Amino acid sequence: MTFVDYAIPLLLFIPAVSGVLAWLFDRDIVREIFGLIGGLSPLVIIAITYGKLGDGIKWTVDTGVFKLFFQLEHMSWYLAAVAAVVAAAMAFGMVSTSRSGYEWMFALFSVSGLLGVFLSGDFAGFFLFWELMTFASFMMVLRYNKRASLKYFVLSIIGAYAMLLAIAILYAKTGTLEFQSLRRMVVYAAYGMVPLTKTDMVLVYALFLVAFGVKAGTWPLHVWAPDAYSETNQSYTTFFSGALSKAGAYGFVLMFILLGVKLYTDLGTFRGHPLFTYILAWLGAITVVVAGFLAVLQEDLRKLLAYSSVSQVGYIVLALGVGSGIGFTGAFFHILSHAVFKGLFWLITAALILRTGKTRFEDFGGLAEKMPVTFAMALIAVLSLAGIPPMAGFASKWLIYEAAISAHMPLVAGAIFLGSAIAFAYVVRFLYAIWFGQRPSDLDDVEEAPLPLLIGMTILAIPNVVFGIAPGLVVRFLNKFINTGVAVNSYYSISTGVGTYNALSVALILVVGLAIAGLIYIYGARARRIPLTNTYQSGNPVTEDYNLSMRRNFYRPLAEALEFWLRYSFDRFYARVAKIAEDFADWLREGFYNGNVQAYSWYLTIVLLILALWGVL
Amino acid sequence: MFDWKLILEAIGMLIYATFMGFIFMGIERKAMARIQRRVGPPIYQPIIDTLKLLGKKESVSHGLIYDFGPVFALGASIAALLFIPIANFQLFSSNADLIVVAYLLEVPSLGIMLGAMSSGNPYSALGVQRGLLTMVAMQLPYGLALIALVQHWGTFKLSEIVALQELHGWSITVPALLLAMIVFDIVFQAMLGLEPFDIVSAPAEISMGPMVEYGGKHAAILFTQHAVQLFAETAFFAVLFLGGASNLLELLIKQLAVLFIAIFIASIYPRFTIDQAAKFFWKWPTILGIIAVLLTM
Repeated sequence: MTFVDYAIPLLLFIPAVSGVLAWLFDRDIVREIFGLIGGLSPLVIIAITYGKLGDGIKWTVDTGVFKLFFQLEHMSWYLAAVAAVVAAAMAFGMVSTSRSGYEWMFALFSVSGLLGVFLSGDFAGFFLFWELMTFASFMMVLRYNKRASLKYFVLSIIGAYAMLLAIAILYAKTGTLEFQSLRRMVVYAAYGMVPLTKTDMVLVYALFLVAFGVKAGTWPLHVWAPDAYSETNQSYTTFFSGALSKAGAYGFVLMFILLGVKLYTDLGTFRGHPLFTYILAWLGAITVVVAGFLAVLQEDLRKLLAYSSVSQVGYIVLALGVGSGIGFTGAFFHILSHAVFKGLFWLITAALILRTGKTRFEDFGGLAEKMPVTFAMALIAVLSLAGIPPMAGFASKWLIYEAAISAHMPLVAGAIFLGSAIAFAYVVRFLYAIWFGQRPSDLDDVEEAPLPLLIGMTILAIPNVVFGIAPGLVVRFLNKFINTGVAVNSYYSISTGVGTYNALSVALILVVGLAIAGLIYIYGARARRIPLTNTYQSGNPVTEDYNLSMRRNFYRPLAEALEFWLRYSFDRFYARVAKIAEDFADWLREGFYNGNVQAYSWYLTIVLLILALWGVL
Repeated sequence: MFDWKLILEAIGMLIYATFMGFIFMGIERKAMARIQRRVGPPIYQPIIDTLKLLGKKESVSHGLIYDFGPVFALGASIAALLFIPIANFQLFSSNADLIVVAYLLEVPSLGIMLGAMSSGNPYSALGVQRGLLTMVAMQLPYGLALIALVQHWGTFKLSEIVALQELHGWSITVPALLLAMIVFDIVFQAMLGLEPFDIVSAPAEISMGPMVEYGGKHAAILFTQHAVQLFAETAFFAVLFLGGASNLLELLIKQLAVLFIAIFIASIYPRFTIDQAAKFFWKWPTILGIIAVLLTM
């Protein structure tokens, strides 16, 4: 037995156990040490197992009733690696922002839960860890906002029941929960050797769509995400939005792997695309656009990023829905790049909230001078999210573009174009309102973010640049477990057969261009520094008394253009449904428990009568 | 190691493109003046303007990002130019395809916005807001036009698109792509910042929008950037829809044709407001674009 054989139990238990320890020894420094051990251990273990996977590391637990299988092969390694990087950054962030053992415990529980989901080799373990992860993240939200957590809880419960039901159907018909044998059974079922009917498949498909759609925040089940992401410790949101939401995307991948053949034969095709993937692609496309527009119109920093998260995970779902090898590559790449750039965004938010205590755009301004390092990180995150070459966000988006267009899904691809312009719009809102313009006087003594947060940001900023310039690194690894159809010419250059992207040459030529422009700048006259109030104002003098920066309703014309669509909201629809259900329950309760003894005796008589008729008495 | 011929070509093309870009700007002003029955400045006026701005003894700055914005914009414009196959020069076009170039052509405006935002001038902020909303509005039809093109030719590589057009005739001879070209041309008006979509700079309304604070060498860099961008965008149009070109003269004729259409449209129509522009873009160009992509599927 070598260390690698223990990798899986160590991965699953170190975070959870150190979380409990952090909660037990809830003292400064002690708590942080346990927390950091829990947060960093996955990254260390994952790094050690790199290149030692072979046919996959396996681990089995025999609980007596059933066996739990876990395995670490290429796909689960990749996903676990993404989760581990984000978890490490989260841990550093929480050192700065959290003073509570409770938060450390549940944050680390959700790390364990997510790793368990990725490593599970059967549905029993998958479901258990899924619930652990959901429960832990619920507890994190509960601490900050009861209402937001309730919304998250109700939707998660719906998702969990849907998943349980789907798993039960599969188990009843095939008699197995283990992924490999289930996959075999489903193939047999396609030949009619296992009694898995078309109705079953449609049902299972719909149930999985709900179950994973909730976690991935797919429209119209995204409504929990904006509230839950914003109403918790923002360092934790790094993991919550950066990694946890990927569990939903992984669920869809799992559905493809396990049930793909049967779904394809049973649901048929639509305009040449398998129907089950086509639906997914459209759900993704709608999510990208709807959540994007909502993000643009937000007035709260956290809400903007939360909606943007929903929108970006929509890209992943869309790319999976394209269904081709390039689509899968794009989806897996975007899982990585979204994790690193959105994680970075949330850590920046954590730093901003820690240092200013404000969340609304109208209260911010001019912080670029006060927090220069954080601002530099913000610029990296913005460039990556907006998909400016040569950042990681561009490489993954490029793959998704190529996938959607070459799979002949023009309208879905149109949604990506629109979505990327919307992304430009909301990142600029973030940039302008927070970092530029006149600074409100109460922000004059804001300091740079604390060191642990900056370390966390650096952990996430490096992959943004490295995998942006060397997308081949990622695609080469993806080639090990998917038939991607993307050729890796070198570390820097990938091509899809119909297009090429050489990230290094783009980066170099951009640098050359910047150098030429820089030369013109340097050879020009010296620039004199003038204050922000010394601007052209058509002759009106500007004083410090008036803050001329536009911070509120920045995109008002867009809200006007979209007026018709903004009248409809699934969030409000669900709220209304919930209200109706509550009123109905109230009416029932008041009707039955009316405090009248006679009525109660009638109930008793009726029940006895029914029992008598049934033959019980 | 180094491909010296390629590097020399790139440098030569850069000088040529900058010069021609300035001339295009001059033509734009002159033609507009003649349509409005004015005399107009000489065609080389933008070059004189830029040299004058560079020669200013002092310029002002609002900080590092304010300086970085124009530099970044010009750098990105140069990068975009070098990835387009221009006439018989392939330059670096084998390293990047349509999607990369389409993105690189959008990056400069982001650079300008970045710098403009940091100036703290509300006119700039308003211009930035308008610029982004125009971008959001035009992106859907723009994307659809590009998708139709790629679906028809079956490749993202610009040099292959040119080669295929040499073989099968220009893109616009295909009915579906003619529709796509019309859509692209409408969007093109917004890309060049000309009427009826000059919402971003909106002279006499928000004082040139993002550019309001820039003067001296910053403005000179922005002028140069505009020249390079103008050349790159017209060349991009020619490559996509007009069959590219086998030499610079042929390319020049096609670029001028594209430019003059843009100038004529610009001199006829008044400016849209931003929500009108959004509603317009999401109506006719989008419908035409959807028809185009469905026809090429």
